[in-house]
Amino acid sequence: MINYHQFILANGLQVLVHEDHSTKMAVLNLLYKVGSRNEIPGKTGLAHYFEHLMFGSSKNVPVFDTALERVGGSCNAFTNTDITNYYISLPAVNIETAFWLESDRMLELNLSRKTIETQRKVVIEEFKQRYLNQPYGDVFHHIRSLAFDTHPYQWPTIGKEIEDIVNYTKQDVEEFYFTHYRPDNAVMVVAGDITFEQIKVLADKWFGNIPSGEIPKKSIPKELPQTGKKTLTLEADVPTDALYKVYHMPGKLQEGYLESDLITDIIGFGRSSLLEQRLVKNGHIFASVGAYILGTVDPGLMVFSGKMEKGQSAENAESVLDELIAEFLQSQVEENILTKVKNQAEAMKTYESVQLLNRAMSLAYYAHLGDPNLYQTEYEKKTRIPSEQIMDWASTILKKENASVLYYKSASKLN
Amino acid sequence: MTIDRSLAPEFKIPEHIDFPKPIQRTLRNGVHLYFIPTPEIGAVKLELVADAPGILGRKEKKLVPYFTLNMLMEGTRGKTSANLDEFFDTFATEVEVISTFEHQGLSLLTTLKHFRKVLPLFRELLTEAIFPEKELAKRKSQKALSLNIMREKTGNRASQLFRKGLFGDEHAFGQIPEEEDVNSIERADLIDFYQSQLWCNPEIFLTGNLSDIELDLIEELLGDLPVHQAIEVPHIFNNKTNHRLIEDRDTALQSSIRLGCHLIPKSDPDYFGLWAFNVFLGGYFGSRLIKNIREDKGHTYGIYSSIGSLKTADYWVVMADVIKENRDDVIEEIYKEIYKLQHEPIPLAELETVRNYLVGNLLSNFSSSFELISRFKSVHQAGLNLDFYKQQLDFIKSFQAEGIQGIGQKYLSPEYMVEVIVG
Repeated sequence: MINYHQFILANGLQVLVHEDHSTKMAVLNLLYKVGSRNEIPGKTGLAHYFEHLMFGSSKNVPVFDTALERVGGSCNAFTNTDITNYYISLPAVNIETAFWLESDRMLELNLSRKTIETQRKVVIEEFKQRYLNQPYGDVFHHIRSLAFDTHPYQWPTIGKEIEDIVNYTKQDVEEFYFTHYRPDNAVMVVAGDITFEQIKVLADKWFGNIPSGEIPKKSIPKELPQTGKKTLTLEADVPTDALYKVYHMPGKLQEGYLESDLITDIIGFGRSSLLEQRLVKNGHIFASVGAYILGTVDPGLMVFSGKMEKGQSAENAESVLDELIAEFLQSQVEENILTKVKNQAEAMKTYESVQLLNRAMSLAYYAHLGDPNLYQTEYEKKTRIPSEQIMDWASTILKKENASVLYYKSASKLN
Repeated sequence: MTIDRSLAPEFKIPEHIDFPKPIQRTLRNGVHLYFIPTPEIGAVKLELVADAPGILGRKEKKLVPYFTLNMLMEGTRGKTSANLDEFFDTFATEVEVISTFEHQGLSLLTTLKHFRKVLPLFRELLTEAIFPEKELAKRKSQKALSLNIMREKTGNRASQLFRKGLFGDEHAFGQIPEEEDVNSIERADLIDFYQSQLWCNPEIFLTGNLSDIELDLIEELLGDLPVHQAIEVPHIFNNKTNHRLIEDRDTALQSSIRLGCHLIPKSDPDYFGLWAFNVFLGGYFGSRLIKNIREDKGHTYGIYSSIGSLKTADYWVVMADVIKENRDDVIEEIYKEIYKLQHEPIPLAELETVRNYLVGNLLSNFSSSFELISRFKSVHQAGLNLDFYKQQLDFIKSFQAEGIQGIGQKYLSPEYMVEVIVG
């Protein structure tokens, strides 16, 4: 449980307050309900690129970071497929500065030519550093575009290709800002050594007169059910083959999502998991293996991935993985495994909630889904799901025609 | 309500920061335990940290400590590898290897609820591991693969070559592990190291909502751990002159740059000045390197300078992955920025920003009770105590530009820099 109180300003900004007087710090976390799922082909990566522009200047703030550092604060942000999340951490006595800074860039961001062009270069370098100049770094570019035909999840948040980043225009950027960076498309969480009354006053003072959005969001194309297995074989200069096998699964608030989460917990979480014990510790084909879900708002992917031992092929790896999945589908989830998964879910919440910032982010994330209490109720629901229900969903999802497979093969001289 | 947004809100810089001291106990084997209670937190963290050997007999056996530590979870006299995995996962407990230049050990992250159940098995790992051949063979092939993958990464390769340049390959800090080092590892090496060297001068760092019952249990279970007391041989390194290394890679899309030198110990009177100099130059997001290379020129996604902690003397490194064609410009700009910071007046606004940022940062570092033990650990391992932070706070509030510039001139000379480019 994370205690909180909330209110909504007339312009639609949702505000949550989490008091914690054991610290002298405060966090202001501002989540905008926009991610790469809101992008269109040819303009991919725009949500993430825009996050960079938010750290330039706004009408009354020449340099965002400097203004914050001057009062002892620091900040960062991340963008994913579904949200863009900004956070400021600073001495609680200076919380008003965070309100000034965040409200100014929501109201009147300066989209100067210099910022637009420099950040374009910076993001292109980020693209290279994290995705192209790393062994296996472009795996998710390929697996997403293989698995999705219509939904924007077909490209990663950084963007489909560098060309798209090169081509954003000033108009793209402005339209994006006025569509998504509006108070009625945001959730703000203020946490730490502050009070509810204080935050009410500050929120009204700094955010109260920011107009709501007027440009409607474009609808997001839905992905139709997949009807046949898809495969892609690639060669790259990597030391060993890798296998990525993904299955479509329900979105965050849909039936079957929590079951999908449990399926990968059971099969793939931790050293004692089925995958690790059978395929890595007692097998000779996989050097490493994992299973997890992408955890997206719209229907997403359940991922099985691994790297092969030297000389072993990704195709062979797939057949032993398939055998294991087939065997799993014939089995029952035993009580001790459910206890383990439940203990892990409980402990994970304990570990996560140690940090004030994590608590603020969790509240913002679940509020954006529709209800901050989901943080607790989803967890409770997950730990009560009976074994048969998990296995029913496993049979629905883990079907051949629902799978996309990437054989990422080593063309290296080392092999 | 209309507000004048052009006026920044009033702000205060915190005057005072609490630096809470840990509770200390000494176990019957002489091991010191340092504990910071965190009444409101359900997580528990225990770290058993020993000294790592600096010079390891035969060079080809450089991976012995790595494999010894990583094999502790692969079977004990009482439990198979699968048993151990099942047990720790069931109680949602993470046992992890600690491995830094100067320290090695194991950490235990669990919940208060399960702490008393998992501690005895954690204790078993420390002396009862059996290093089975089958698990060792798997670990070896995994390590060989990960070394090959790491070698492909320009950033990783550049860091390795930088360490080799800085510390030399006669010393563990500078040695680059290769696939043949993996091949030369035998079970007997690990058993020998485990029995005769692993638990050398260990200490325990502990945090969580623990009572005397749990502390007594720790005393009982860890108090009989056989430990080796060894007198530390200080590692002395000297700066080299004009050490430059380039590893070109046609297929690389960026060049990874590493540039740096040896500094002074944390106890040196010039230390805080040098530390502050680094902050201005490349130690925070508003730094001169970020402003110049990223925010002005867009040559990189990130460029930072940082100070690495070592007992006898810290070291300094600038790191960046940059556009290949601009790699020489970037290096030139780094030297220009060092020179400018050393010799040109620092604007008052910048001084104020850095000063306030550093106070806020220090307050933030001491704001989460669960992390206090790590703050203590880092100064304690350098042979200092929490007064270090008090002095640091006093320094932040009072330092003058000329002071840190003089210190910057004294220790950061271009001719002593080790420069590495990969890609």
